[in-house]
This record gives sequence, C-alpha cells and structure tokens, in this order.
Amino acid sequence: MIELVNVRKVFNAGRPAEFTALSGVNLSIESNKVTVLIGPSGSGKTTLLSIIGCMSRPTAGRVQLAGREITSLPERFLTDIRRKTFGFIFQQHNLIKGITALENVMLPAYPLGERHVPLKQRAMKLMEDLHLSDKAESKVEWLSGGEAQRVGIVRALINNPSTIIADEPTAHLDTQLSHRFLGIVKRFKEERKTVLITTHDPLVYDDPVIDRIIRLRDGRLEVERR
Amino acid sequence: MRKSNTFFLVTAIQLAILGLLMAHAAIAVQAPSNGLRQIQSLVKRLELTDLCLFTEARYTRHLSQADLNTPFQDHPLSLEHFPSGSFLAPPAMIEKLNERVD
Amino acid sequence: MREWIEKQKYIIDFTLSSLLRRKAKNIGLLALYTLIVFILASVMFFTHAIKKEASLILDQSPEMIVQKLVAGRQDLVPLRFVETVRGIRGVQAVRGRLWGYYFDPRFGANYTLLVPPPTAQTGAAGNGSRRVMVEGEPDRNAEGSAGPLFDLGADEIGVGSVVIGSGVARVREAGTGELMLFRAYDGEILPFRIKKILPSSSQLVSSDLILIDEADFKRLFGIADGLVTDLAVTVRNPTELSTIASKITRRLPDARPIIRDEILRTYDSIFNWRGGMMIVILSSAVLAFVIFAWDKASGLSAGERREIGILKAIGWESSDIILMKFWDGAVVSLTAFLSGVILAYGHVFFTDSVVFEPALKGWSTLYPRFKLIPFVSAEQVTTLFFLTVVPYSVATIVPAWRAATIDPDSAMRYTGE
Repeated sequence: MIELVNVRKVFNAGRPAEFTALSGVNLSIESNKVTVLIGPSGSGKTTLLSIIGCMSRPTAGRVQLAGREITSLPERFLTDIRRKTFGFIFQQHNLIKGITALENVMLPAYPLGERHVPLKQRAMKLMEDLHLSDKAESKVEWLSGGEAQRVGIVRALINNPSTIIADEPTAHLDTQLSHRFLGIVKRFKEERKTVLITTHDPLVYDDPVIDRIIRLRDGRLEVERR
Repeated sequence: MRKSNTFFLVTAIQLAILGLLMAHAAIAVQAPSNGLRQIQSLVKRLELTDLCLFTEARYTRHLSQADLNTPFQDHPLSLEHFPSGSFLAPPAMIEKLNERVD
Repeated sequence: MREWIEKQKYIIDFTLSSLLRRKAKNIGLLALYTLIVFILASVMFFTHAIKKEASLILDQSPEMIVQKLVAGRQDLVPLRFVETVRGIRGVQAVRGRLWGYYFDPRFGANYTLLVPPPTAQTGAAGNGSRRVMVEGEPDRNAEGSAGPLFDLGADEIGVGSVVIGSGVARVREAGTGELMLFRAYDGEILPFRIKKILPSSSQLVSSDLILIDEADFKRLFGIADGLVTDLAVTVRNPTELSTIASKITRRLPDARPIIRDEILRTYDSIFNWRGGMMIVILSSAVLAFVIFAWDKASGLSAGERREIGILKAIGWESSDIILMKFWDGAVVSLTAFLSGVILAYGHVFFTDSVVFEPALKGWSTLYPRFKLIPFVSAEQVTTLFFLTVVPYSVATIVPAWRAATIDPDSAMRYTGE
C-alpha cells in the first residue's frame, strides 16, 4: 500500500522557469494490483512515478510506504528502500552500453555485496524465464528492442522487489511485443507483485490485466474510471 | 574468470615481482661480490677523491678538487663542458672506437 | 566483511567492464602512464643508487685535502706547507700527493696520472721488499670472491713502468707488457711498459688512471723536488676537521682546504642536478600526460553522467558511485605504477639505464662502464606511489563527487515525457 497525501512538486522553485509538475495529489495505490497512470505529455506522470519510487522527493506533502513515512528519510535509507522495494522498467530501457546483458541485469545487486555464484544463478534463472539465456553474454547494443526491454525487466526483478514501476514500457514496441509485455505483467500479478505503469497506449490500459486507471492532467488527478 | 579476480591476480603477480626485485636489491647490496669493498679499498689505498665519471676536462674529472672559478677559466666564451656532456651524444668516432674494443 | 569485499569486487568488475569499452583509449592511457612512471622511477632509482654508491666510495677518501692557490688557480704545494700543517694541533699525518693530467691527442683522451702513496709497512720492511697491496677486508677475502684488487710486487710500480686503468687499456687497445709513449714537458718521448691493468670492476674510480713512479712523474712534468700537487691530511678527531681547516687557512692564507664532507656534498648535488635536469627535459612529456589524464579523469562526458543517472536510478547510492570512480582511478594508476616501477628497476639495474645513460651519466672518451648496486628503499617506492597514484585517483574521484549527487530520476527525465 502506497499512499500520497497532498503531494506537490515544483521544479526550479523561485526562478523564472518555475514549473509546477504536481499540485495536491492524493492517491493510494493498493498492493498486488496493476495500476495504470495515463495522461497527456507534461501531465506529471513521470514525476509522480519518480516520487512514488523514492527517486525524488516531493516539494510538499507526504508519501507513506506500507504505513511508514518516507519523505523525510535521508538519502541512504531512501536508496535502501528503493532498491529493495521497487524495480524500474524505463521507456528507453536505460541499459548501460558496452557491457553484457548479464552484467546489466546484475548491476542493481552490486552494492548489496551478495555472493557472486548465487547472484549469477538467480540472474540466469530470471533471464531464462524471459527467454534471454542465449543473450546473456551479448553486449546490450547487439540486442533487438524487445530483447533490450526484457533485459530491462529482468534487471528490475533482480533484487526481487515487491513493486514494479514501468514508465511508458510499450512506447518503443510493436503490437506483438506489447502483448508479450502485458503477458509478463500478468505473471507479475500472479506472483502478487504491485505493478504501476504510465502509458499513452490504449493497448495497455484497455487490457483486462489492468485493475485501475488513474488519469492525470496538468499535475492533478482526474475522476477515476473503472 | 571474473574481471575483478583477473585484476587481483595481475596485481598480486606484479607485487610478487616487485617483492622479488626488492629482495634482489637487498641481496645485491649485501653481496661481497658487488665490488664495492674493493673499490672502497682502492680509494683508500690510492687516496682518490673523485669518481671517474666525467673525464673530458680537468675541472670535471676531479669535481671536488676543481678551482672555484673553473667553469670559465679557459675562455669567457668557451662552452662549459659539464652540462654539454649530458645533452650531446658522443662523436661517432668515439662511439665506434668504444664499440670495437668493448 | 565478506559483503564489503564482494561489493568491492562487483564494483571492480563493473569498472573494468566500463574501462574495456574504450579499449584503445584506455590501453593507450595505461601505456603512457606506465611510461611516465617508468621514466620517473628510473631517474629516481638511478640518482639514488649512484648517490649512495658515491657516498660509500668517497667516504674512504682522505679526510682533508689542502691545495695551494695562486691567482685563483691551483698551484704546486711547497714542502713548507707540510711542516706548517703538521704543526697544527690535532693533525695526525700529512702527506704530499702527486697527481696530474695528461692529454693524449691521438685518442682525444684525458688521463689522470697518479703516484700511489707508499704503504705503511714500506719503511718497516727490513728486507727492502716493498709491497703495494690493496685488498678488501680480510674476512671477505676468505669468501674467495673479493681478492686483492691489485697487488704490486717489489719496488712498487718501478721506474719505467705504469699500471693503467681499464678505460685507458680499452681506448688504447693496450695489454700488459706493451709500451706506452708519453711526451714529457720538454718534448722528449718517454716509453713506459704497462705492468698491470687495474680490474675493470673498479672502473667507476679508476677508468682513466695511470699509476706511475714518483721519479717518472716528476721527469714527465718537470716538477722540481720539494713540490707536490696537494696534501692529504689525517686528523686525530674527525669532529675537529672544520676547526683544523680554519686554522690552516689562518696560518696559510693561500691554502684551500677541502674536507671530505665537501667532496660528498659535491657529488650529492651533481646527481641531484642531473636527475633534476632529466626531469626538466621530461617535464613537457609529464605535463602533456597530466593534461591528458586530467581531461580523461576529470571531464565527465554527457554519456558518463547519464550512466551515473542510470546507476542511481537502479539503486546505487552516491557513495557507490564514488567508490566506482575510486576504483576507476585506482585500477589504472596502480597497474601503471607497478608496471612502471618493475620496468624501471630492470632498466636501471639490469640493463644499466640504456635509455638515458648519456644524459644521466655523461660521456667522454674514457667513460667508465659500471653496474650500479641496487640501493632501493621502500621509502623511494612510497614517494613514487604518492607522486603518481594518488593525484590520478584524486583527479578521478573529485569530479565524480558532483556527478554522484545527480538525482536518480534524471534517468527517467532523460527520456522526457
């Protein structure tokens, strides 16, 4: 359960370029559900996502994670919560070029200092689940768009997070690959993970796997549907 | 092999070589065969005062014994031999001569 | 602890992977860095070793030399000097030395002619046999490797004979028993038979030496009896050397005493100067490297910033980023440092500094060939470490400090909405 209370986010505060990305957002996201955030460009979807995912702090308001106030935690604790609770899937995949897919997958686990053999086994197992085992030793720039995204998904799962956050996951995928992605989301739901997706794509928000749709416009929530 | 292990291995090998070289240095300094004592006794016996490193002129051969104004004693415009010896290569004739006899 | 080690290893894994991405550039950097360390270490090893060796060797030279100056130039010393110096309290022995230079125009070589001092037992020997012995410490002799350096039979060198240094023998391609011709001060040609060649292991001090009998020396240069080149003075208490030196200058205002410390200082400063000069010549190369390394290490490209953003987004802390940058600098500089030092050691002590022998040692016709004794201390290596590894690592970490505080959501921002 993630709760946002009166969250406000202002960029470049006090400067001429001041810009209010979110104003007065009250939202609670239930666990083990798939929630979709939709809204036009600049409506504050990504900002909201990064606040929920403990990547940035709100200018005002509070964020509670499983009843615990996290807005005022110092960076170290926030990072710790982030890497244990959230797995991120990015629009641009955000893989590190020049290193292998396997290394990319294992990266989020590096600072935790886990032993190498079990970590590698887990990474290989997760890659196998998404049919990537033969790509493990390939450099990421040799991967196709769909493969790169699946590597990004495996990377999000390596620390076994309870919540998956995906930012425009289907923006660079064709219909077939988008369907495959939704299949993976379905599996997440079966594994009782919380999933949060931002999207423009009707293919995503019309899919039966979606439990709830939240609409954003100009940094405010619109009335909910479904 | 993991890259970090390769790095540690390479570093360990380098450190081992460095250690061996340090041991080599320690042994060589102690070794009686290094001739140092012989040179020392020769210096003592012959009452030598200088190293035979720069034999090109009298004021460079015995540096410690040279007159205080030696660098300019030959001619005010003459080039000082001392730094020149460091920068210039020896004449080809001398090099050839030494090569042949060495 | 195990976690901590694993974490370092993971971060090194990642650092090496990222370094290998720009293989040519980073290997070039590593090679250049190694070269710089190699040069610095070579200069350092060489100057330190030769300074140490010079100080150990010259520690055996006479405690004090007294010259006579005439119009600012060294002149022959009359025997009255001997009496005056001997009369000073604290002086144990005074002996006139005879030595000088002889220029050989045929070979363009400058020889040092020296009359060896008589041995202590010369006067005491009843049967008239005079032996000149130079030997190592007796206990060392037992090991067999260090026999007497040269051992002259009766009558020392003897009139009409010379003992030559190995450099002289090399230049003239002369062997024992052959004749050497010298042109005396009055133009007369004097032949000398080569009695012995000094062992080449003593080249560092004896390469250009020609040991000659006193009578021959005086005949060759036309030096009258009662004159010597300079005086070697022995004192009872070495701590009084400077007091005695000032007493000598008071009694003999035209005398110039040179004490052993000054000799040692002269050589110390020479090799400092030569080593420094090498560094000056090389400083442009060093500076070019510093600029290159600074640019490489401190300039974070947009791509690197983006990567740091990604790493933060996927759960790396600022301290992890700094740790990664630390290893980035440390891996490169440590490898370069160790390779450079190892190569420099081999260069200086196994190949006799082939690369910059001419600049560091100097050259001349009678150049001595010698192997340096490897006087290397941990202190030198540590100094070198702090001169090379630390600045590079710092130059790598400092700019990362700012980048490490990039907001993790920049990775999402990058995509834009």
